[in-house]
Amino acid sequence: MASKGGAAPSTYTHAPTNKTRRPPFFPDSDVDWLRSDGRGFHQCRPAFFRTGAVNSAAGSAYAESGKTKVIVSVFGPKESKKAMMYSDTGRLNCNVSYTTFATTVRGHGSENKEFSTMLHKALEGAIVLESFPKTTVDVFALVLESGGSDLPVVISCASLALADAGITMYDLVAGASVSCLGRNLIIDPISEEESFQDGSLMITCMPCHYEVTQLTITGKWSTANLNEAMQLCLDACSKLAKIMRSCLKEAASASKD
Amino acid sequence: MGLPDASGDLSSEMEVDAFRRLFPLRYFERHLSESIRPDARPLGRARDTTLALGAVASAHGSALAKIGSTTMLAAIKMEVMTPFNRVTGRRLHWPAEAAPVISKQLSDTISSSGMINLKELSLVSGKAAWMAYLDIYCLDADGALFDAALLSAVAAFSHLQIPIVSLNDDGKIELISEEDDGAKLEVEPVNKEKRKLTLSSIPFSLTCILHKNYILADPTAEEESIMETAVTVVLDSSSRLVSFYKPGGPVLAHTSAVQDCVALTRQRVKELQNILDETLSGMEID
Repeated sequence: MASKGGAAPSTYTHAPTNKTRRPPFFPDSDVDWLRSDGRGFHQCRPAFFRTGAVNSAAGSAYAESGKTKVIVSVFGPKESKKAMMYSDTGRLNCNVSYTTFATTVRGHGSENKEFSTMLHKALEGAIVLESFPKTTVDVFALVLESGGSDLPVVISCASLALADAGITMYDLVAGASVSCLGRNLIIDPISEEESFQDGSLMITCMPCHYEVTQLTITGKWSTANLNEAMQLCLDACSKLAKIMRSCLKEAASASKD
Repeated sequence: MGLPDASGDLSSEMEVDAFRRLFPLRYFERHLSESIRPDARPLGRARDTTLALGAVASAHGSALAKIGSTTMLAAIKMEVMTPFNRVTGRRLHWPAEAAPVISKQLSDTISSSGMINLKELSLVSGKAAWMAYLDIYCLDADGALFDAALLSAVAAFSHLQIPIVSLNDDGKIELISEEDDGAKLEVEPVNKEKRKLTLSSIPFSLTCILHKNYILADPTAEEESIMETAVTVVLDSSSRLVSFYKPGGPVLAHTSAVQDCVALTRQRVKELQNILDETLSGMEID
């Protein structure tokens, strides 16, 4: 933190003292424990989507899932930079950034540097890149507040923003993640749960095609758990895609009136 | 402007939208001569303005300001530091060349308005003080960026809730979490009383575009790009002049035009003060 802002005086923040406590959870027992927001283990946070949040962009979407708040703007397609090689297919340029106040400790969001490439990889397969040769589409995602499961929310929101911009896609991309805590699988974890997880799995998929665009697995998993987690994610994705689709339909019927 | 007459003749047959794109200045001047703007506003009227406080729960104070479709999100995070003369750091995030200019203007305006009494940010005299980090993100840019940025900053400061801290045995400042608040406090909080800043003389601003003899209050991005001379007036809540910016431009402002801009700003300050008061009282009822 000391390096921030050049000659700025050094400051320090303390996390609230109760943060150091472990959650009421026992890794090797079947004792029931509640999630801090009162959800069941296999219950997602309520998701909210809205398109057209940014007027100056070609397309945009805002997504809210619990405390996680994300805004995505899409610009283009516009002519690729001159320095780029000629390309028959379109280019996709993705950028994910965090606001400095998104995390509890100021400026911690910049740790997620790999999110930009992961967003790119998750969307690439769903976009009909042949439909805009020689041009580039820019996708800018800004995490306004980080509340856990940020990347799946960013990816779902970005695919909605692309649809809002009229970019041809095979299907919407919906994302979901599952955390493994001991024997338990919990879907759509919040930041606190993510910090205690033994393993995590994220799937982004095109539910209508039943095709997966990205699958990341980290940590310790048993095969049975893995199978169950994948099924949980896929179910959540198809439900999420329904919400996203209805959001698009609403926006389309509103613009007709 | 090689074809002013030709465009005049063509305009009757041309589609309105094509005319707007090909001859933007003539399109605007036609509206202005009728004392109206393309978005149906009179010349001196600002766009609809809304404020939402507490938009970001992870910050200690935050506000979302919307003027027309220009949207700014400001949030303040508090950190403890050893006292230093300058107490607020400000940053503006907007991927364009305008950002550093607005950031500097904002920084000057807030410090010279005397809105924040820096003594209130002191925790232990000479030992510890608060550092307030104000970050503003431009979510949507459609003209009058400075006005929206200042409004969001001011609103975020009025929403700011300073966290409770205590001194531990090592003489270090420690944060007390909200849930522990109340019964089982073993340590005496240092700042139980001073949770809110008293904001005296809040600054508000209005940007106007000068074009020929016309003064257009609160311009959109389109208006700013076509007519380049802008004047920004910042007045505080008791109508004292805080800052005045006229960064060049082809139109030279007469003193009468300057007076008109100030008069428009005075009206606008009342509007903005009402909006802020209403938003704050709305928060208290909840």
